[in-house]
Amino acid sequence: MALLKVSNLCKTYYKGENKIYALRNINFDVEEGEFVSIVGKSGSGKSTLLNLLGGMDTSAEGSVCVGGINILTMSEKQLSQYRKFTVGMIFQSFNLIPTRTAIDNVKLPLIFSNYPRRLRETRACELLYNMGLYNRALHYPSELSGGEAQRVAIARALANKPKIILADEPTGNLDTATSAEIISLLQMFNKKHHITIIMVTHDKETAGRVSHKTVLLSDGEIIKITTNPNP
Amino acid sequence: MKASDIAILAFYNLRRNTMRTILTSLGVAVGIGSLAAMISFAQGISGNISRSMENNDIFTGLTATSRSIDLDDPGARRSSSILSQEKAEVPLNDSVIDGIREWKEVAIAFPIVSKPATVQLAGRSLRASLKAVPIEMGEFPPFSNITRGRFFESADEPRVIISRQMLQQMKILIDGESDNVGLGGDVLSLPLDSVLDKELKIVTRVFDPDKLNFINPRKGELPLSNEVTSLRIAGIIDNGAFSSGVFNGTDVVIPSLAIDYVPCIDLRSIYDIMDGKSDSQHKYGSVHIRVKEHRNLKTVKFKLEEMGLQVFSVGDKLEDIENIFLMLDSIFAAVGVIALLVSILGIVNTLIMAIYERRKEIGIMKSLGGTQFQIKMIFYVEAAFIGLVGGICGVAGGKLASQAASSFANSQIGKIIGCDLEFFDFSWTLAVVAILFSVIISVAASFYPANRAASIDPLDALRRE
Repeated sequence: MALLKVSNLCKTYYKGENKIYALRNINFDVEEGEFVSIVGKSGSGKSTLLNLLGGMDTSAEGSVCVGGINILTMSEKQLSQYRKFTVGMIFQSFNLIPTRTAIDNVKLPLIFSNYPRRLRETRACELLYNMGLYNRALHYPSELSGGEAQRVAIARALANKPKIILADEPTGNLDTATSAEIISLLQMFNKKHHITIIMVTHDKETAGRVSHKTVLLSDGEIIKITTNPNP
Repeated sequence: MKASDIAILAFYNLRRNTMRTILTSLGVAVGIGSLAAMISFAQGISGNISRSMENNDIFTGLTATSRSIDLDDPGARRSSSILSQEKAEVPLNDSVIDGIREWKEVAIAFPIVSKPATVQLAGRSLRASLKAVPIEMGEFPPFSNITRGRFFESADEPRVIISRQMLQQMKILIDGESDNVGLGGDVLSLPLDSVLDKELKIVTRVFDPDKLNFINPRKGELPLSNEVTSLRIAGIIDNGAFSSGVFNGTDVVIPSLAIDYVPCIDLRSIYDIMDGKSDSQHKYGSVHIRVKEHRNLKTVKFKLEEMGLQVFSVGDKLEDIENIFLMLDSIFAAVGVIALLVSILGIVNTLIMAIYERRKEIGIMKSLGGTQFQIKMIFYVEAAFIGLVGGICGVAGGKLASQAASSFANSQIGKIIGCDLEFFDFSWTLAVVAILFSVIISVAASFYPANRAASIDPLDALRRE
């Protein structure tokens, strides 16, 4: 059974009296351990789709089943649990809390998940070490470069050992070299730790190169799904 | 999420805006401080007066007299007694008082016998009144709690009891007391030993037949001369600023039989002499009665009135006094509540500002799995912390302010009433309740902001920069 199954997903909103389809009849599966990229132009519905997969938005028709459970029908409490333990989110603008240090940002999801207090520090240090940021643990986000900030965000997303990482244009604010580093990191976690990664990007070439599956969206509809068995 | 984690996050958030947290807490402190000070003032005033009254048995004492006095026309009583004989006066003699004593509601009853006098001690003198008490009064306040000296041992013991207030009026301080009531200059400080068991000179006026001038009575002075009786002081009553109903601060108390040792012309009732009533019929002008419990007061009063006696009691006015205190409490509490309402608005404002500032942060927390409950709890704890700090500061400030106000009031009013009063009753219970109230009210004030924060759409919050 697929880890994530999107069936007949539609999202609409009204602009005046006009009904706008943000997503129209989306269907695709994601297997456990897959690296899936969602590509398309601006306004094609990539981020809308990712937010629905991440349980940040539930106002849509159809279903998004994770482990057989439709997250669109989950209660607020169940959604919190889902966001806490099943998915980890990475954003284009990093979304780190500016007034807290790197290690405190990484510890935040551990606090929400009731991770034992004495092990939190160790877990956060381990994650930052894996990201090559051990020496930046006590730095504030404003003291970090874009690449470093995004690596802290990845460490935070991995804190509760989620099954799926949802990355919304993680390289959108980064230069080419740093983007490559971030993509390599995500690839490494996908291959080494079998973490399922769903990444939204507008870079078709990178997506095709690193992903097992690339979903091409245009005007809220899937145009094409390409697969690459050996990314 | 553990409670300690919520507390740490909340504390961290408050520390981020130290000045705003301090100012909001200060607002709460002003509100709680005012409320606590107002309540303590109301409690202090009512407690002070009630305590003094209770200590002196005012609520259980009443005075009955056989004569009705029309203050507008003092002569009316006599003319009415001559013109209408249908309602005869009740004679107050020993047998009537013995009868009253037998009533089950009555603790003690005794006639009020007094003699005008001038007392002299250590070269100071004061106009006073000599009042007789039965030996049984030793069991009742204020005589049951004499701290300096003792009560009488027998009904004919030739000793007297004076009050601290009387000494102060004579500008005499004992036992190294400080002049905290502003007696002014010429104050004499005496050790207790030089007052207790020492002689008090009592100067009374007696009939002197040698001074009668039958030839020209209009020219001569009254046929009276001074008689000095020296009696030792058995004890000193510290009865505060209030009278005990029948005894007041300028009375010299003497045993009921010993009063006969002090000669004095009896000008008790010129009306009785003119009416030609015999001494046995109208031996006493009035009688003091103490009931066993305050609830007996009405019954005894009714019985006495049935006998045709005029009755007066402060206890009768207890309900009115309580209503006045209740009104005072309500007014003071209302002023405090207004101050508190203002501080609550401060808390709401602070937390709503925090929501606007931390909107994105709340969105991040929710995207990381933070529940609505956890977000709410962070805000509740922040409010509780503001309430706790504000409450503690408010109570401390209120206590200091009440002490300062009390000192000032005593320096002004103490001169008039002759002793210090506790204007504020700032108890530990009040302090603890005020702090708890501060925390509760602060958390209650955070309900709206906390709910608003918890209901923030994470997607919407994360879109904002």
